Amino acid sequence: MNEWILQTNGLTKKLGGKAVVNDVSLRIRQGDIYGFLGPNGAGKTTTIRMLLGLAKPTQGSVHIFGKELKRERMAILRKVGSLVEYPSYYGHMTAYDNLEALRRILDVPRQRIDEVLAIVRLTKEARRAVKGYSLGMKQRLGIASALLGQPDLLILDEPTNGLDPAGILEIRELIKSMPQAHGVTILVSSHLLSEIDQMASRVGIIAKGRMIFQDEIGALRQRSQARIRFSVSEPEAAWKLLLASGYHADWDRSRLSAEGGDDRAVAAMVAKLVEHDFAVYRVEEENASLERIFLEMTGGEGSL
Amino acid sequence: MLARILSAEFLKIRGKMLWFLAVLGPLGVAGLQGLNYGLRYDYLMNLYQDDPWGGLIRDVSALTLPTLFIGLAILASMAAGIEHQTNAWKQTLALPVPKTAVFAAKALLNVLLLFVSSTLLAVMTIALGATLGFDLGDIPYGDLLQTLYYPFFAALPFMVLQVWLSVTLANQAVPLTVGIIGMIVAMFGSRFDDWVPYKWPHLLNGAGEPLYSVLAGAALGVVLLLAGMAQFARKDVS
Repeated sequence: MNEWILQTNGLTKKLGGKAVVNDVSLRIRQGDIYGFLGPNGAGKTTTIRMLLGLAKPTQGSVHIFGKELKRERMAILRKVGSLVEYPSYYGHMTAYDNLEALRRILDVPRQRIDEVLAIVRLTKEARRAVKGYSLGMKQRLGIASALLGQPDLLILDEPTNGLDPAGILEIRELIKSMPQAHGVTILVSSHLLSEIDQMASRVGIIAKGRMIFQDEIGALRQRSQARIRFSVSEPEAAWKLLLASGYHADWDRSRLSAEGGDDRAVAAMVAKLVEHDFAVYRVEEENASLERIFLEMTGGEGSL
Repeated sequence: MLARILSAEFLKIRGKMLWFLAVLGPLGVAGLQGLNYGLRYDYLMNLYQDDPWGGLIRDVSALTLPTLFIGLAILASMAAGIEHQTNAWKQTLALPVPKTAVFAAKALLNVLLLFVSSTLLAVMTIALGATLGFDLGDIPYGDLLQTLYYPFFAALPFMVLQVWLSVTLANQAVPLTVGIIGMIVAMFGSRFDDWVPYKWPHLLNGAGEPLYSVLAGAALGVVLLLAGMAQFARKDVS
């Protein structure tokens, strides 16, 4: 078995001739909190459905725990807990009975129900019908259901969707605490970069069905280094001058910017420009936020 | 595995009126016959004076068929609706269970509920006869059980068909329409050719052997069950 706990190769799903998921290769390591990011409709949920065997890939393969999903679906799913999109529950039943219905299928000891209820802090409400629950409580019940079978891998699709800030915080803390407390690996999807940024150790970004970025969260942060923007007379000539002087400058026909170094480098650039009789109107620092990077990468369609 | 899923199914239908319906069906049939006998007791007793039990069983069975047909459609729809309501299919099917077993459990749940209904009807028919003062020593048990359980087995294809439709289609209007039309068609079932499944629950065939109708029903029921399981396992879960 290699180091990847979950690995997909060239995963593709075509619906009506259109590739909704196109050649996606996920790599998740043991103990990761893997943030699966993408705008709405990018193919996150479809990918997750394929990981759980709910949808059949048109092409490509899924390996979890080193086993192929197609061949050993039952053995894999025994060790996977999932929450796909909005939580599934039986509204007329209590939380306890909802978990009991799953427990009968999973065949785990009855005390496990009390354990997972305690983890998501629903013990006090367990005897109430779920239809009277708030969305946050239903979401927590969904996570409890996912945890019931003591999974090694937890797949949570948009677990904070539709929650208020307090609910989001609660779910986030719950997710963050789980790898240490229960030794699980987590795949969590979201369309909110700020969410993922606060919990994930690794990120994969998907847009229009294609994986456009996959690395440690640190690598994404490195891209958000500050740049210096110049407003000058004759920017194109200024750009050529900066390039000739060995600075990493960019000119996109409307804006002149350069890679920001320390103060001294900025001062040297300004001096150079002034020396060559360019009029310098403004020198601004531009902090490319993670969101900007995300938007740029996903072609501006990201909902943030 | 099937037993475990089925036990979860029985937990899920608690408080969902399925048991209520399973009791209401036979109660309605027995109740209507009670009314019938209550209103024209003297006339009917005169009519059936040689064989009061036989007359009662025939009267009960006349109402059984439409009740069975509408009941199986409603039960199938309600049982599937439990999952459709919050789209719980994806949760169930992401569990380590064979998808075929999930479908089989749903079908079996309906068959078992209807079996309970048929059994209750037998008990209620005897109770009704006793109330009407028939001789309890004369109960024709063989006839009674045949009249109630043979149509049940002959109607197996329709139970499976309704479960299949209800499970596959999120919009329950379609399976319910099929079920209601099925009930009406089944009422005229005795006029069809022998190969038409709607005729089978009437237990009529050219050979004059009710068991043939029962066997045909059971066989087609199993075929439909296997086909439904295969299709259900193959399709993507929305």
